[in-house]
Amino acid sequence: MTEGRIFNIQRFSIHDGPGIRTTVFFKGCNLRCEWCHNPESFYCGKQIEIHPNNCIGCGKCFQICPNKAHYIDESGNHRIDRQKCVGCGKCANVCFSNTLIAVGQTINVESLMKSILTDLDYYKSSGGGVTFSGGESMLQIEFLKEVLTECKRQKIHTAVDTAGAVQWRNFEKILDVTDLFLYDLKAADAEIHKKLTGVDNGTIIDNLKKLSEARAEIIIRIPYVVGLNDDQIEGISDIIEPLNISKVEVLPYHKLGNSKYKALEINNKSPELEIPSDQMIEEAVKILRSKNINAIKA
Amino acid sequence: MLNSDKVVLSPLFRKRIQNLHDNKISINNMKIEKLGSIDIDDHGFIYYDNFKFEPKTNHKCGYVYGSKAIGENFREFLNQIPTYINMNSALATCWIGTIDNWVKVGIIPEDKMPDFEAVCKEYKITQSGFGAMNHLGPDIKIGLELGWDGLLEKVRYYRNIHNPIDTSFYDGEEQLLLGIKEWILRHSKYARELAEKEKDELLKKNFTEIAEMNEWLVENPPRNLREACQFIAHFQAVDRTYFAGGALGQLDEILRPYYEKDISEGILTDEQAVWYVASLFFNDTHYSQIAGLTPDGSRDMTSRMSFIILDAMHYIHIPINIALRVHDNVNKELLRRSLEYTVSDGTGVDYSLNVGCEEGYAKNGFPVQVGRLRAKVGCNWTALPGTEYPLQDVTRCNMPIALVKAIEDIKKMKKPSIENLWEQFTYHLKVMLDCIKEGHDGHYEVVSRNTPEIVLNLFMHGPIERGLNAAEGGVDNNSLCIDGIGLATVADSFAAIEQRIINEQRITWNDLFDALDSNYKKNEYLRLMMKNINRFGSPDSIAEKWAIRVKDFFVEYAKKPTPKYHLKIIPGMFSHGDVFAYGKLTPATPNGRFNNEQISHSNDPDPGFARGLDTFAASLKATAVAKTQPGLGNSSPLQLDVDYGMMNTENGINALISLIHTHNHMGGTLINLNCLSKEQLMAAHEDPSKYPDLVVRVTGYSAFFSSLSKEYRQQVVDRFLSN
Repeated sequence: MTEGRIFNIQRFSIHDGPGIRTTVFFKGCNLRCEWCHNPESFYCGKQIEIHPNNCIGCGKCFQICPNKAHYIDESGNHRIDRQKCVGCGKCANVCFSNTLIAVGQTINVESLMKSILTDLDYYKSSGGGVTFSGGESMLQIEFLKEVLTECKRQKIHTAVDTAGAVQWRNFEKILDVTDLFLYDLKAADAEIHKKLTGVDNGTIIDNLKKLSEARAEIIIRIPYVVGLNDDQIEGISDIIEPLNISKVEVLPYHKLGNSKYKALEINNKSPELEIPSDQMIEEAVKILRSKNINAIKA
Repeated sequence: MLNSDKVVLSPLFRKRIQNLHDNKISINNMKIEKLGSIDIDDHGFIYYDNFKFEPKTNHKCGYVYGSKAIGENFREFLNQIPTYINMNSALATCWIGTIDNWVKVGIIPEDKMPDFEAVCKEYKITQSGFGAMNHLGPDIKIGLELGWDGLLEKVRYYRNIHNPIDTSFYDGEEQLLLGIKEWILRHSKYARELAEKEKDELLKKNFTEIAEMNEWLVENPPRNLREACQFIAHFQAVDRTYFAGGALGQLDEILRPYYEKDISEGILTDEQAVWYVASLFFNDTHYSQIAGLTPDGSRDMTSRMSFIILDAMHYIHIPINIALRVHDNVNKELLRRSLEYTVSDGTGVDYSLNVGCEEGYAKNGFPVQVGRLRAKVGCNWTALPGTEYPLQDVTRCNMPIALVKAIEDIKKMKKPSIENLWEQFTYHLKVMLDCIKEGHDGHYEVVSRNTPEIVLNLFMHGPIERGLNAAEGGVDNNSLCIDGIGLATVADSFAAIEQRIINEQRITWNDLFDALDSNYKKNEYLRLMMKNINRFGSPDSIAEKWAIRVKDFFVEYAKKPTPKYHLKIIPGMFSHGDVFAYGKLTPATPNGRFNNEQISHSNDPDPGFARGLDTFAASLKATAVAKTQPGLGNSSPLQLDVDYGMMNTENGINALISLIHTHNHMGGTLINLNCLSKEQLMAAHEDPSKYPDLVVRVTGYSAFFSSLSKEYRQQVVDRFLSN
């Protein structure tokens, strides 16, 4: 049976598509957006978060780590040598203080469906369903396709949240089992896009056009980040204008993910980004609406 | 077409209601200053620190007992307490505290049961139900139709007709009613004095109207909405004075006939109606219900009055206890409006759910049509207005104590096992339940001659007609509650043992026993290991399986009738806010809980249960609570504390509506809801005095956050943060 690697199952999601949804977060992403609030999604393998404030000093992780990756730094803090850590998870398995948390779990379709079906009554009562996000769920296309197919068999509404930077044939594989695409557009200018995310946007825009031609249901999501892509709204609206798009959501940047960078000991490129004001978002929405685009603040 | 428009208040009524809000804050601040923190429901009493009362006792130990003595003392008490009229209110009177602050009322020593008390002491049963009072639902319409004088005539009529040898039952009721009339008359005179002195024309008019209204009500039933609200205010004050209580009824239906008549006669506006109801809420925080199905199930009872009640609640913004009865066809606009108010105000109504409450009640052998009448009139509980003696909310069976005793038993065994532990746990649980039932039998035997329901007898169908207290045949339906508490503490403990000792063999039984004996001292690692399993609330967990098993056993054994008098029992699961009080009596438990730490609340999962791939979600918690409903109509609430930022959107409100309906379909009974922002909550916890009007639903009851002790505030904070 096909397996996938995920890192979170978030039930009762109300901002990832219609109704009450379960959002499944896939591990692994081919973008590196500067503002990403899910840094645990970057790497597809298992990782260990460390929260030193919870540490009770039992030493079990030190004892069990095969690569001796745990150490105490000069300030007396418990740290992990990320060069040595292979993410085996043995340390997290003996840590009960929530200091070490293994992020990323391999799961098969049957187990994932069992989790998804827990909230079936809520999907039915609210017109909700399941959203596959991440990371980039479409990088695990075979697994994603199987889960989507099973969801449709159970008459569950499906949505895929994607950055779109994958081969078109991946979209083709899931078109008939995906009710809704939540499609991220982060910048219109290719160079700026590459600077902010690590990839250019040519494939992303091409895929979007093809999705539109295929009459897929699409909601565009624009993360609004002050000082990084706030000058891209006009250009993005030009891309969207000729396409068949249900709605555009402008998502204000938030800082909720900052602690995760620290826990994973990943460099946070932009820890001090400004939270956009309501006025800024309203301005962005206004620009989109001026092109007859159905836009809202999310 | 039902008018669901929000009532827009003119400056006069907006100011009056705002003033009532401000007055309530001041009164509450004074109470905190004089009395310290108040962890129970907010009550509407006005504190008078100089009031003194000397009762006339009739027992050598200083008790006042029996209907006649209580009635006589109550009459005198009502004649001595201060008169109270708030100039911003449409109504007169207040209450000043429960009578037991001044009068020693309770079960006299000769009627106590020493053997029973010994078992209670051993098993730390501090709320056995024996001697408990004022937890039944009145039919206030009895009083509204007759008026206070009509009730007095009724008492005298039946005393005359029955001509009992011992007239004390009726004598006591007569004394109470005379005292009530005299108290109301004093308020009428007081209002006249205020009117005479008052120079402001609007205030003068208000005092004059209050005077005339109260004068009328001394001798007559109410004629209009304001008089009906005034009658209910009288009732609330007297009812609370006698053992607190707080049950009212289906408020929208109670007031609707008066509202419709007044509107048709052109003597009432909607904003006046809002003011009257707001004044009633200021008078006291009695529990009432709006909406719900008619008894025949054919339609929803929502009316214009239901919306007016909601608007009054919103405008005055103080602790208020209204439940909205949800069913599939509940008025959509009413439900949405109630949630909008919860989002804007932080809290609002709670949601009483028809499937669990009504269809569950029918499983006891009652017609479901009768179940539909069972209104939510307590912090957690429902009762049939005027016809049921349910002894709700006064009995708690602390299941973790049975577990602790079971652990002591298996320590002595050569080879402890989880099967042995279960056997001993169920043994001790049976001992506790048998003890409580013995107490219920004893209560039935003695309560009526000690502390009859002298106030609520007047508002029940049967007691006055029969000359019998509600507890001993005054009403036809005695369905006595027993609430189990601490379900998650027990389930998580069993699950931790199964996982860590049996399945994973990470620790031994002796390791666990040593850790418990030492209160986990120097064994934080083991404690956290036991704590951080997939706890109850996690889907398909071992703990969920144990929770269902414990619940099933509890319900099956608890519902057996009492041994001596075969009184019917309906089990529930509700801890009120007493998780700290019971925690202090409960030694360390295998779920990683320290000695003295709070136990789990009702049948809610403990905060922080979500682990691994699963993050916390309201639906996870709701599903867990639904799966562990006792299922016989008595409530086991779902406590939800949601983030304001998440809910203050169209999606948020829609999601809550779906959650409420889904929880109902799953057999849930009650949802208590807070909608808070983290910043405000943390700031208010740090310095409650800076947020004097922050209102929260603690469990089933509503209170000012600033009134709560630090540990009760922590309860709300912990729940919110774990979400």
